[in-house]
Amino acid sequence: MGQLSVAIEVRGLSRTFHTTVRRPGFTGAVRSLVNPERVAKHAVSDITFDVAAGELLALLGPNGAGKSTTIKILTGILTPTSGEARVAGVVPYRERERNARNVGAVFGQRTQLWWDLPVRESFAILRDIYEVPKAEHAARLKEFDDILELSSFWDTRVRHLSLGQRVRSDLAAALLHDPPVVFLDEPTIGMDVVVKEQVREFLRHQVEQRGRTVLLTTHDMTEVERLAERVVLVNHGRLMLDGSLDEIRRKFGSTWQVRATLADPHAEVVPPPGTALLRHAGAQVVFGPAGPAALTVQQALKAVIERFEVTDIALDEADLEDVMRAAYAHAGEI
Amino acid sequence: MAVLHAWRAARVTPLGELNAPPRMTAVALRLAVQVVLVWSLWRGLYAQTGTTAGLSRDQAVTYAVLAVLASRLRELDQYAGRDTVLQHMHFGTIVYWYLRPLPPQRYYALRAAGEQLYGLAWALTGYVICLAAGVVEPPASAAAAGVFVVSMLLGQWVLYYVMLVLDQLCFWTVRNTAAMLILMFAQNLLSGVYAPLWFFPDWFVTMSAFLPFQATLSVPLSLYVGRIPLSDAGFQLSVQAAWVVVLALFTRLLWRRAARRVISQGG
Repeated sequence: MGQLSVAIEVRGLSRTFHTTVRRPGFTGAVRSLVNPERVAKHAVSDITFDVAAGELLALLGPNGAGKSTTIKILTGILTPTSGEARVAGVVPYRERERNARNVGAVFGQRTQLWWDLPVRESFAILRDIYEVPKAEHAARLKEFDDILELSSFWDTRVRHLSLGQRVRSDLAAALLHDPPVVFLDEPTIGMDVVVKEQVREFLRHQVEQRGRTVLLTTHDMTEVERLAERVVLVNHGRLMLDGSLDEIRRKFGSTWQVRATLADPHAEVVPPPGTALLRHAGAQVVFGPAGPAALTVQQALKAVIERFEVTDIALDEADLEDVMRAAYAHAGEI
Repeated sequence: MAVLHAWRAARVTPLGELNAPPRMTAVALRLAVQVVLVWSLWRGLYAQTGTTAGLSRDQAVTYAVLAVLASRLRELDQYAGRDTVLQHMHFGTIVYWYLRPLPPQRYYALRAAGEQLYGLAWALTGYVICLAAGVVEPPASAAAAGVFVVSMLLGQWVLYYVMLVLDQLCFWTVRNTAAMLILMFAQNLLSGVYAPLWFFPDWFVTMSAFLPFQATLSVPLSLYVGRIPLSDAGFQLSVQAAWVVVLALFTRLLWRRAARRVISQGG
């Protein structure tokens, strides 16, 4: 595998689709037929980011944010309206066949395997298409089998596989030709937790041991937390944030709650500065962050203990799902 | 060079069928029933007459039975195997065709070649059985057999392109079911599967001469039974070859446009 310091370069990438708007009602439908109204939809607008070789980057965003369009441009399936992209040194939409040898891709539950054939036959067809030497193919299949346990079902026809088995097979199929760059568009959607963990372990192995660059889109924040150190957040086709998980947590993760049980249920409750009283029922009080000078969770804990006589205290810190919800909401407001 | 290494793609249809014995049994049953019915029908039709439309009873029966067998060469099945353009467009998996180092048009050609060779195995088996049972007549001479083989090859080539045009339609319409139904009817009628074209009125024969369908089956079968004399074979083969060239150029153009459409819509 050739090592480049930057595996994926995206510069000012934009993609606009032109669609026909259907007017409502019968008259509207006739009018749309005679005089169709065309509108431009900016799926991706001026996106710029890099992915280093051997890095796993999570490309996140709500549905319709432009993640899949970005991946399609990077795999060479779609041409951008403007901007430039390079994947392993190749402009994917100009040299599609050359790019195809450098990349592997899984698009959600859309399988690239042959429905009527056993999984192993699909692998053999791909081996021929990508011209992978037989010994190399066998060795790679063995490596994938060790983690994904493919051999327990690879003689089964694809049509008879469970979703988890099919996605594991698709992952293997996408990597059989040893691509340095892998695009995974929601690969674990709909899978059970055991298979998800198996897939995560496989991806970790591919990044850490094989040095592959992975661009992953997912709505599963556990997956992001366990796999990615860096995320790129897009919304409405625009890049909203590019940073490490820690940075995002610092920026959007201040949604803590401090729950306290007061010794005196009738005590007057004035929240410490930088906090807000979220709930108050008898002796039970809940504080959260407030204002531009919001306290951190540790500061809030200290302030509550100092201000009130408490018999019990607990804190809830936001998990990544909450953090991303806050980040999406923030991005939506921009 | 990927196309040479990717020969295994030609095995998709035969392997898929071999992995589904009930499908093979259904094909064998259907062929047997069709052959028996067609044989009975044409013998019945000729019971009160001698030569009609330039065909004797044996010629007509041979033509009709061979037409049934030849229709197996490229079964117009859109769904088995989930590997048609129609299904890939429907399921959004057409993107994978554009993600591989093998161009989609070459992959399609390999798949079709495998499918046609698989159909040929069925047709040849049926032919040998029918010949042994005296249902069909052998070709009149070695020359007629040779010309028939060349003409059949060209006919299948034309059929490949006709099917390809229909599949390519899916890049614009997503579904091609209506077009497929029309084509199946037109192909069966105008190529002489339902009845040899010689039985139709002159205007119909003239009209079908301007379409590619009769080049797929009617010409080779007419050469086999001797309804087209060997002296006319050169001209007929040239017409078939011309259709191959015209359709090859047309489908090449459509592949380019389809690729442009995929890369502008993203599959």
